[in-house]
Amino acid sequence: MTVVLEKSNIPKLTEALSRQYLVVDYEKDKTALSVKGYFLAPREKLFSFFSKTKKLSVRSSPKRKLLLFGLDLADIEALGQLDEIMTKPREDYFYLRKRRNSLIVGVVEHSITMPVATGDLILEKINPSQYRAVSLTKAGQEIVKNKFFKKEKNPEILIYPEEKSNLRELAQDSELLAEAVSWARVKNHPIWEKLEKICLGCGICAYVCPICHCFSMEDEIEIDGSASHRCRYWDACVLNNFSRVAGGKNFRPALKNRYFNWFYHKFVRAYKEYDNSQCVGCGRCQKYCPAEIDIEKVLSEIIRDYEKSLSAPTG
Amino acid sequence: MKNLYQPQPVKIEKIEFLSPSVKLLRLKKRLNFVPGQFVLAGLWGYGEAPFGPASSPYQKQYFDLMVRKGGTVSAAFHSLKKGDEITVRGPYGNGFPLDFFKGKDILMVSGGCGIPPIASLTEYLIKNREDFGRIYLAYGATNPDEILIKDMTDRWQKSVKVLLTVDAPTPDWRGRVGFVTELIKEIKVNPLDTVAVMCGPGPMVAAMEKILKSIGITDRRIFISEERKMQCGIGKCQHCATGEKYVCLDGPVFNYDEIDKNFD
Repeated sequence: MTVVLEKSNIPKLTEALSRQYLVVDYEKDKTALSVKGYFLAPREKLFSFFSKTKKLSVRSSPKRKLLLFGLDLADIEALGQLDEIMTKPREDYFYLRKRRNSLIVGVVEHSITMPVATGDLILEKINPSQYRAVSLTKAGQEIVKNKFFKKEKNPEILIYPEEKSNLRELAQDSELLAEAVSWARVKNHPIWEKLEKICLGCGICAYVCPICHCFSMEDEIEIDGSASHRCRYWDACVLNNFSRVAGGKNFRPALKNRYFNWFYHKFVRAYKEYDNSQCVGCGRCQKYCPAEIDIEKVLSEIIRDYEKSLSAPTG
Repeated sequence: MKNLYQPQPVKIEKIEFLSPSVKLLRLKKRLNFVPGQFVLAGLWGYGEAPFGPASSPYQKQYFDLMVRKGGTVSAAFHSLKKGDEITVRGPYGNGFPLDFFKGKDILMVSGGCGIPPIASLTEYLIKNREDFGRIYLAYGATNPDEILIKDMTDRWQKSVKVLLTVDAPTPDWRGRVGFVTELIKEIKVNPLDTVAVMCGPGPMVAAMEKILKSIGITDRRIFISEERKMQCGIGKCQHCATGEKYVCLDGPVFNYDEIDKNFD
């Protein structure tokens, strides 16, 4: 038996779910930003301290469960990676508190060929009018109990190949990427200087990235001094002051080094830490970079030269 | 789930000038730490910053921070008085590999504001004096007023050879003048069985490493306590990351070999 959902019933389903959950229809309202902001907010208050009572309070988060509806596979994969980053080796309380109070429903417009490890329910397109529902968790099974889901013996199952994306393919070979980017560092590949001339150092790539998670903390203070709030906000490792310490020393004053560090984290350190490059090839940084830096072209150039160096005679 | 970002309040038991720009903050709290580890100390309304405790790890009543007025948090700390409350969380990081140090000659080198973890280590070594060979502490300050260990030197001298030097002497200074690197002439250790421990300005560390290597102390036996910007202390925020390492998790103490390979 296959559990199916009629495409035409999706709006009715999200409406029904919104009686129980805080539903964000991500498919409908897709923005430049990924879903990471729901768990690692662009800016959030973590603690408040009240000067008079000397009371410290941990800021509360919404009680109502959040349901993110309509993520594609790249975004689900990215969220799975971010979950791991925020869990290992130590737990990030504020991220996990929100994440554990959320449900993820993926809507995939092509046939799934690899197992999906993150999310609660996946809706996979099987024909022009129907999705197959695969629940991955108990919470997912609960959703499937909704009256809009039907059991069918032999639904029409068509094959929809995934739209080809070079970047997504590139991102999947994390071993090669780790080797190539590492090599490009050791060999001081000219690409870093080339990028320094183009990159505006604005950090948009990190903000739109579904996995980038650089952050900073600072205190906000009430104008009457009655309370202060410890806040955390998105930072980006390409920004000038990212590695600047008290007293003024900046460990990465050159944009070239900061840009390289961004790559090194994504493709080398991440691979050693978590066995994955921290890129799922979603293409947001490509699309929103104001200097039109194309990560796909950058990676291809590095890999091309790395592979050339492998086949070149040594000595 | 434990909230690792939650700071604990601590009371200032004593606050005094150690030098014109550095204050000692004695905090009334027992801190279980290994010398070389660090805490994130904060003040509501100003934020948090990393500091390495300077006091003995055996001290049960309090721990000390040495705070140079350099950033927002440290400047705010300078304006506090006895009885005021700040916050701490931690300790974080690895600390010095004390077991590895056992039985060896120890050469500590520090300059200026790099002294706190070295001071704490010195207290540890003195407490366990019989476990170690010869112990030297070479410390350089810009001028005599900036020597942050004036109060401890006499007591330490009984168990450790303390060598002080200043870059710019005052008329009443009777001690050594010159960079800390010049003190090497006075140091007699068995290089094959010596660990060197350094915390101080980058140029000092780099110059010293060359000298230590030349007398036969290999990079794997040279330990550096690194400074980086830190926001989370638990390996998430990325500020202290360098190469494959997180200074907050894998450090702040590294041997020079690791630094050489990893740091950009």
